Amino acid sequence: MNTSLCKPWEHQLSRRQLLGTTTGAAVAAVGLGPLLQPVIAEELKKKQKQVLFVWLDGGMSQLESWDPKPNTQFGGPFRAIPTSVPGIHISELLPKSARQMHHLAVIRSLCTQDNSHSAGVARIQRGDPKDRGVTYPYFGSAVAKLLGPGESKLPPYVWIKPGSGGFKHTDAGFLGPKFGALAFGDGQPPENLLLHKSITEQADDERDQLRRAANRRYAAKRRKQVTEANSYVFEMARTLMKRQDLFDTTKLDPSDVERYGTHEIGRHMLQARKMLEAGVTFVKVNSYGWDTHGDNFNGHASLVPKFDQAFAAIVEDLAERGMMENVLVIAMSEFGRTPRINGHIGRDHWPEAWSLAMGGCGVREGITVGKTNEKGTFVATDEHDIGHIFHTWFRALGIDSTDIEYDNGGQPLPIAHDDMHVIEELLA
Amino acid sequence: MTEQPQDLATRFEPKELAVIGADPQVFAAKFNPSGKLLAAGGFDGRVRLWDLATEAPQELPALTAHDGWVQALAFSRDGQRLYTADSWGKLCAWDANDGKPELAWSLNEAHDGWLRDLDVNADGTRIVTCGRDQVVRIWAAVDGAPLLELQGHKTDVYSVRFHPEKQLIASGDDRGIVKLWGATDGQLVREFDASLLYLEHRLQDVGGVRTLAIDRAGKRLAVGGTIPKNGATVQGTPSVLLFNFETAELTHTLNFGASTHCFVHEIILHDEGFVMAVTSGTPGQGQVIFQLPDEETPFYTTTKLLNCHSINLHGPTGRIAIVTTNRGSNGNGRRLAENGEYEGNNSPIHLLQFAEAASS
Repeated sequence: MNTSLCKPWEHQLSRRQLLGTTTGAAVAAVGLGPLLQPVIAEELKKKQKQVLFVWLDGGMSQLESWDPKPNTQFGGPFRAIPTSVPGIHISELLPKSARQMHHLAVIRSLCTQDNSHSAGVARIQRGDPKDRGVTYPYFGSAVAKLLGPGESKLPPYVWIKPGSGGFKHTDAGFLGPKFGALAFGDGQPPENLLLHKSITEQADDERDQLRRAANRRYAAKRRKQVTEANSYVFEMARTLMKRQDLFDTTKLDPSDVERYGTHEIGRHMLQARKMLEAGVTFVKVNSYGWDTHGDNFNGHASLVPKFDQAFAAIVEDLAERGMMENVLVIAMSEFGRTPRINGHIGRDHWPEAWSLAMGGCGVREGITVGKTNEKGTFVATDEHDIGHIFHTWFRALGIDSTDIEYDNGGQPLPIAHDDMHVIEELLA
Repeated sequence: MTEQPQDLATRFEPKELAVIGADPQVFAAKFNPSGKLLAAGGFDGRVRLWDLATEAPQELPALTAHDGWVQALAFSRDGQRLYTADSWGKLCAWDANDGKPELAWSLNEAHDGWLRDLDVNADGTRIVTCGRDQVVRIWAAVDGAPLLELQGHKTDVYSVRFHPEKQLIASGDDRGIVKLWGATDGQLVREFDASLLYLEHRLQDVGGVRTLAIDRAGKRLAVGGTIPKNGATVQGTPSVLLFNFETAELTHTLNFGASTHCFVHEIILHDEGFVMAVTSGTPGQGQVIFQLPDEETPFYTTTKLLNCHSINLHGPTGRIAIVTTNRGSNGNGRRLAENGEYEGNNSPIHLLQFAEAASS
């Protein structure tokens, strides 16, 4: 492990320290500008809450993961195994997560609205609020807005994903492009991050002053939202230039590499841990290829253990480091998969009764919330939509979703679905 | 002289005899050696039985010793034993007992988890099994005593077959590796490279050796699966790779249609030299294919049977059993029956017969 990295809890500045720091105030201004309750937001910032959001794109099967129904009509071939919490069983494909169950809560009562990827991914990640004619931000953008970058000054919303990287401004919706996601394609830093060898630090500072002057003139004639985003992204890039250690895989502890797995999600999850340790507010780790309409069971037999390895490793590490107190950990998809097994031995999309796992940040440990019926076809207890989950996540992060609102150019907008509420039993 | 494809078509085009409704779904269906009993392993852990000696197939009481899925089953050649295995790792031996099988012995943990395939050797003394625990095991048929454990596969082992005459075992894994072992000493004899049937796509290991067949002469090994295009909703070209058994040389690659047809799930190498195969892919897609290896196209194919998961031939009568899936098996979201119930799918089992046998 690289122990030279700063930890967020080593930077618990007092309010006086924070306000007395010019840069800190500037960052706060950028990150929290349009909040209706800036004082509350400032209080939140001090707590250094963070989020690890693991997104399994396409739809992980609840029956092959968090809500197994062995020996039932739709239960599939796999067994259920006990976990570190007596009485809680999950799929045999998650043996390592089973040993971390005492840090986690599993919600088995999700019942959401969309059974298509095109609508489902966005609706779930935007919290599916009431339609007010605006595009709501993804959870990562919302957290970037509401919590800001923290003392690390690192980009508040980073997305470690397979494939290409870049700045994904569309995640931010009406919040504006600067709250978009900075995506690291395959965990790699943005291209040309390194300062060219021929440029000295002094020359770089002079160039930066010149750039700032030019920016001011450019910005004076253009829409604030656009120029602000440009400057914001540039500042993030300059911050990252000083944190190349975040991308240096040569110094990784080989035992960590082995423990997390050398596969894509293992490498990305280990990098997520580094990002969280460095103080990034919201880290999304994305895995693609979970849409198993065909060959679902062999597919999950291959996919789930890799997720399990990486996920259990980071939960274990965050817990060992005391970070679970401040890091909200979430693993989910846009929906679950049908109990019915189709002719391609696959499962289709099923938003009617599915599961997610979460932990940390005051989430009650070692519990399940809600349950499905005997065959796993429908929720047998109170159903929970993503709006309930958003309220719960915000509460865990210290954000009162019944009080705090967005200010969209004078239009007050609730940060989570008005008609839904916190799932109290999930929180300690 | 090799028979012409059109002649083969005349002799072997199958005629439908009956369709057995298996609800809930089943995997493979096998005739017993007399052809009077059909057994099928189910998604519900039951082994379903049908009496075929009656005018119309009559379902018999199911065998209920298993958990999870029963995907693998086989009769001994003398018909005295039925062996069945489940996805929780249990292996059972049933005395045939004149159509009312009784459990002879069982091993709860023959494998750790999904026991994917089994076979019985020619004289009925040994059983070979393979599974998700990456191991191939050989058992004494009489009492289930462990005889040999073959380790060397590094991933799931999907399929296993005894050589029809020699003391050899072929086993195929999810990376497309087929290993040939000595059945008595466990020594690795050679490997066959069927990695064409494997793809690492994103996080997923896709494809692999889904089925194996060895011809009666023991000269040809057939490996079935898909040449994968992608993971998740797997698509790929359904394919059979034919190898020279002695040299491990790949002699033929038979591709059976569009990528939506996806997997070859089972193969029979017929004594007349042609390959019988079934495919299943996108729901509603399925093929039955009979093809001579040296021909460009099948001499018989049909797409009327949907999602064909297994094919079994009763040689003496020319009867064929093909397990399929019902029409309209897929769909996203809530879809309820008229009575408001959430329904599962089922498996029509098509009983067919070669034309020449049907007419005789």
